[in-house]
Amino acid sequence: MFPKKMVMIIGVIILIVVNIIGLSVSNRRYLSHYGPGRIAIYLIAPFQEAASRSIRFVRDVWGHYFFLVKVTKENDNYKKALSQAIEKNTKYKELKLSNVRLRSLLKFQKAITNLALAAEVIGKDPSPWFKTIIIDKGKDDGVEKGMAVVIPEGIAGQVIEVSSDYSKVLLIIDYNSSVDALVQRNRARGIIKGGSEDRCLFKYVLRKHDITIGDTVVSSGLDGVFPKGLIVGHVSGVVRPNSGIFQEVSVTPYVDFEKLEEVLVLLSS
Amino acid sequence: MTFCFHFFICLCLVIFQTTVMPYLPLFDRFYDLLSPFVIYLSLFHSVRDSIPVILFFGFVMDSLSGGPFGLYLTTYVWLFVGVRWIITFLHVGDSFLLPFVVAAGVLMQNCIFIGTVAMLEPGSRFSSATINTVGVQVFWAIFTGPIFLMFFNYFHGRWNRWLKKVFVKKS
Repeated sequence: MFPKKMVMIIGVIILIVVNIIGLSVSNRRYLSHYGPGRIAIYLIAPFQEAASRSIRFVRDVWGHYFFLVKVTKENDNYKKALSQAIEKNTKYKELKLSNVRLRSLLKFQKAITNLALAAEVIGKDPSPWFKTIIIDKGKDDGVEKGMAVVIPEGIAGQVIEVSSDYSKVLLIIDYNSSVDALVQRNRARGIIKGGSEDRCLFKYVLRKHDITIGDTVVSSGLDGVFPKGLIVGHVSGVVRPNSGIFQEVSVTPYVDFEKLEEVLVLLSS
Repeated sequence: MTFCFHFFICLCLVIFQTTVMPYLPLFDRFYDLLSPFVIYLSLFHSVRDSIPVILFFGFVMDSLSGGPFGLYLTTYVWLFVGVRWIITFLHVGDSFLLPFVVAAGVLMQNCIFIGTVAMLEPGSRFSSATINTVGVQVFWAIFTGPIFLMFFNYFHGRWNRWLKKVFVKKS
């Protein structure tokens, strides 16, 4: 009845429409409790964990041993005597560094009133357009969906998917993320949303508030996820348009998301 | 056995992309490594061999990513369909055209991703960094995409020869 070409075109259009509706529905249902993604995380995360640990081991050996061996080459006469001392020194240095890092984490853990669980980052989002990480703690460790994830420098994100031993964390720089926050100096309130280039947008801040570059932004505690007073970042740009009731504020998080290795999950947020 | 080979390669690519690549600053804005594999499947393998792998790893990537569930699945399926359609009238097995096919695939994937984000978050702003990222990914794809395709093809050949040897010895 219809030409074959026309049927094909109509078919493709219908497929595209169904596809868009499907994506739209899955995006709305993102926070449902029993996502099928848990199975894949359960299957893939052990491999990610093994790979991450191997990388860290190789990186540590490379950074603290081979580099120092290269230096000792300049002093051939002392090479044998020095290599042992250097190796020991390297171990101590590494221990010291991890000690400092863990102490800071522990100090922070004591400072916050919630019960916190330390976790290691074992994988990152495969796409540059979305910002999530996989951590090595899951339901068996007491992690639940919606829990806040922080580090001493500030808020990192929140748990969005949990399997028995691993969890997926949505970072605050992802466009899907929202944190209720306020400016520490004048208590101007707004919502921190993920932006581009590892920055955040501080949305819905009224024009009447005087916000300047460098102001610190902290969590307000009103979203029910992040406790009040946790640092988010500092204001890095303010645009006050001539019309409208809100101003456009950019916030640079204090957390360096490229170097995220250990995090704390707030168990009783 | 071809399935095992495909699953093994895909698993390696996923692990490499999510654990090793984030630590290499040079590959900060590298494209999705499964895209050339999907293109490889559509160029050199049958629909029956390819579809289960594409569906499974689309599902895996969707689970590991923070995007809307089904986005990777959508991208891979349309990429597969697109390349299958192209080869009906264009001989893309020709090594001269391979870089452009991979680059087009990566561009198409990025367009779907950006389009989806724009559609689901109408207020989202795309800066020059977005265009820059897409440009860098396409650039990488042009120069490294054909290498991946040739590697997959070569490795599959080796795998088949090794299997033949093993089964001939046993029989």
